[in-house]
Amino acid sequence: MRPLTFRKLFFQCFILAVILFFVVIIALKFGAVPVSLYALGRDLLRVLLGQSSQISSDYGLIIQNIRFPRIILAIIVGASLSVAGTSFQALLRNPLADPYVLGVSSGAALGAILGLIAEPHLNLSPAFGALLTPLFAFVGAAATITVVYFLGRRQGQIESTTLLLGGVITASFLSAVIVFLMSTVNSSNTRGMVFWLMGNLSTSFQKSVYWFLAGGFLLATAVIYACANDLNILLSGEKEAMHLGVDVRRVRFVVYVAASLLTGLAVSVSGAVGYVGLIVPHIMRLIFGSDHRTLLPTAALGGAIALVIADTLARIVVAPNELAVGAVTAVVGAPLFIYLLRRRVA
Amino acid sequence: MGLFCFRKTSRRRGGLLKKLLLPRFHPAAFAVLAAFSCAGGPSRAQSATHSSTEPPASREVVDETGRSIRIPQSVRRIVSLAPSLTETIYALGLQDRLVGDTDQCDYPADAQKKTKVGGGINPSVEVIASLHPDLVLVTKSYNRPDTVHSLEELGIASYATDPHTVADILSSVKTLANVLGVPDTGAFVAEDMQHRLDDLQNRIGDLPPKRVLFVVWTQPLISTGQHTFLADALRHAGAVSIVNSSQDWPQVNLEEVAKLQPDYLVFAESHSGDASREVEKLGTLPAWKILHAVRDRRYAVISDAVNRPAPRIVSAIEELARQLHPDAFTEKSGDTKRKTEKKNPLSRSLAFAPVPWRPPHWARSHTSVTGAC
Repeated sequence: MRPLTFRKLFFQCFILAVILFFVVIIALKFGAVPVSLYALGRDLLRVLLGQSSQISSDYGLIIQNIRFPRIILAIIVGASLSVAGTSFQALLRNPLADPYVLGVSSGAALGAILGLIAEPHLNLSPAFGALLTPLFAFVGAAATITVVYFLGRRQGQIESTTLLLGGVITASFLSAVIVFLMSTVNSSNTRGMVFWLMGNLSTSFQKSVYWFLAGGFLLATAVIYACANDLNILLSGEKEAMHLGVDVRRVRFVVYVAASLLTGLAVSVSGAVGYVGLIVPHIMRLIFGSDHRTLLPTAALGGAIALVIADTLARIVVAPNELAVGAVTAVVGAPLFIYLLRRRVA
Repeated sequence: MGLFCFRKTSRRRGGLLKKLLLPRFHPAAFAVLAAFSCAGGPSRAQSATHSSTEPPASREVVDETGRSIRIPQSVRRIVSLAPSLTETIYALGLQDRLVGDTDQCDYPADAQKKTKVGGGINPSVEVIASLHPDLVLVTKSYNRPDTVHSLEELGIASYATDPHTVADILSSVKTLANVLGVPDTGAFVAEDMQHRLDDLQNRIGDLPPKRVLFVVWTQPLISTGQHTFLADALRHAGAVSIVNSSQDWPQVNLEEVAKLQPDYLVFAESHSGDASREVEKLGTLPAWKILHAVRDRRYAVISDAVNRPAPRIVSAIEELARQLHPDAFTEKSGDTKRKTEKKNPLSRSLAFAPVPWRPPHWARSHTSVTGAC
């Protein structure tokens, strides 16, 4: 393995961070409400100086309370999905693996729908009521991860094929349950439930949720990054890795749990946004190579860039209406994936 | 079936013959006679159906989607595949002819007791067929074309309505009443609706309309487009939707709403959750907090009837007008009545007119309204 210089890693991440910064500025500028870059810069400066009370216009409030939180959400969700995708692809040694392949999104969707059904019957405080659906979604995702993990275990070991098949089967089973629920509950609720089947970043959350998401993302990504070397060795094969002294079982368990946690967090606030976790790691691998020590941070930044762009498109293409961001990522992602696939073969 | 009648007839007539003729006749001759009487049975039955009932057995009507369908001269067995159509049937006093409706048909309460054919989106065609309806009623916007096609294949006629405005709902009720053979009741119901709308117009017509956001769903925000009967109902209630979309159920960008700042949020009562809690919930979210209507808790809740293109929509329009323009309703005698109505909005079942509604004499023959005689 080529030695990793700190300078190289820093340089790569710096370039991507700069791109992300400009993408965020552009995303802040475009939307249903027009703002000038000057006003944006002035307001940004004021926020940085701690004078957020002086934000000039009504639009400042719109940017601050609607657009900016949404961009932050896109960054966290995009980065989470991309890191999770990178991890699953290495873990399962399968380039087609994505964060949803193990049924996590179906579990989250089922949890969310149960939350939507239960919420009116529970007498909750308004603040907690608004939290209930993402909470249920996360519980659903976590439960699914646990079930699939035990399905994929054989003689105390995780087996890639069994795990993948277990995930696919669990997902289809959960989808069936969702369809059953959706056809039995009152029809006016189904409109909101469809949201969980197609990713969407328009949901607003209390501030604490963003901190929680960011914390969860940093923690899980740090855990995965600590295993980056082992993931590199794992790419050459399980036996080889074992001979080289990698505790394959432990690495698998830790990375599996961390990556699933990332997926669960992302899906519990955005529904299932497809293709980000599948394509971004592939593109980053093409550009920066498959060393996980550089791949993981670049994939995180790349995923954030991709989802911020996709969500900006979702906001402005049919303005003042909106598209589901999952539709945008699928429309752009599917052809891109085919292209990458063909290129690889040729 | 044919065979069954046939044997029944022969046995009865055979019994009669036995009494009269058995002592003299040989069993073989009896068998011949029986055979003769059998042959006579069905031919008599045939001639009976020919002579007694209507001259042409069916007629052709064109529904609101332009399809022409054949239906019997008098439609006696109706299946409704939409809550709005079920309500219309009841409003026309034809509930005894309604033999089946959907799981969503919950109004009036009696409609829940009808045979259920499944959901409006996914009804069981088998159950519909087993009810032997003369006519199945559907709406273009709510039901699926697949359902109509599979009914067509079974030779079951279906009539589709497709109202896009409140005026359409009125004319739709009238046309449907004609098809079902109760034109006078239809005209009465439509006139009453028109009368109440005109009355409302007199009260609030000159007031500037309130700018509202009709909330179908909050996260993501789904509202209603300009070309729906719902948007038209809002206009009749002295409100105008701030959402300008040609889609029927658009997902709306919250930034746009924050820019336009609606005076009121309007919710339809749903079976799950109540609107005041919903608004409290929205008040905790940063993106919704910046709406003045959310901050000041300015919202109106109206009956679910506003979602249904049926006669009852007028009640929902009145409810909304009262909440948005309370000043227009303060004077005048209607005070006490309004109070009782507010207590129980669902009690206004069939009372379209200010006076308790009695079915007119032409309707009484079909209805079982208690005390009608």
